[in-house]
Amino acid sequence: MQKLMNILMLSCKKASELIDKKSVVKLSLKENVMLKMHTSMCDGCKAYQKQSKILDVLLKHHLQKADETQIPQIINNRLKEQIISKL
Amino acid sequence: MDTSKPAATIKCWVELYSDSMYSWALHKTSNKEMAEDLVQDTFMAALQSINNFKGESNPKTWLFAILKNKINDHYRRSFRNPIISDISIFETLFDSNDQWKDEHRPQWWADETGHLLDNDEFQQILQNCMKKLPGNWFSAIQLKFMEEKNSELICQELEITPTNFWQILHRAKLKLRKCLELNWFKK
Repeated sequence: MQKLMNILMLSCKKASELIDKKSVVKLSLKENVMLKMHTSMCDGCKAYQKQSKILDVLLKHHLQKADETQIPQIINNRLKEQIISKL
Repeated sequence: MDTSKPAATIKCWVELYSDSMYSWALHKTSNKEMAEDLVQDTFMAALQSINNFKGESNPKTWLFAILKNKINDHYRRSFRNPIISDISIFETLFDSNDQWKDEHRPQWWADETGHLLDNDEFQQILQNCMKKLPGNWFSAIQLKFMEEKNSELICQELEITPTNFWQILHRAKLKLRKCLELNWFKK
């Protein structure tokens, strides 16, 4: 039964791959259909799909909001001395 | 601005801007040694090309532009050196039939994402999880999300194929997702 399932359907490994591939390149029609079929039947991958989208929002927010002034300012005097000694 | 004495000028700029530049480089690479090297390289490059600096513009802006280019060069380099542990993440998460292992199958997260964007504690956990990523995975995440550039453009600039890019992104996201689930959503 498992073997038959593997032929007809994507594995979770492949499905999770396509979920993330989709955010970079367009999936083919076949890939889209197979992915939809898999996620409709697999709770784990359905959750992964949702969470991958959540991650996109979180990461975009986390990485875009920071400009030079918004990140923690660290003092590194040793570095200054090192650079100056090389000038 | 007296650029007739380049070393003195650069020295002054080091005192003024080095901390700010180091903080930025550290945030962008998550690696102290790399961040220090990048800042040092930036000042050396600035010394070499000080004649290109026009006195009217802001030195900090000029220095940061050089630094940001060097950071991008670093991302490009880190793609060329794939980490050997790259594929072990798949063995960890999936069984021999390529299905999720029971203990790693994604569970439902409570729907609270709206609040997370402003939650400092969560942002710190996210930052910590990102620090655990191997170098080139971290770079891929930075590049994909920090600007609005589309992926094709990113791939062109990095001279990598889209396939290479999304494969690394996928691994990074697998690991990040798991880290966040362990350290936040399941607590």
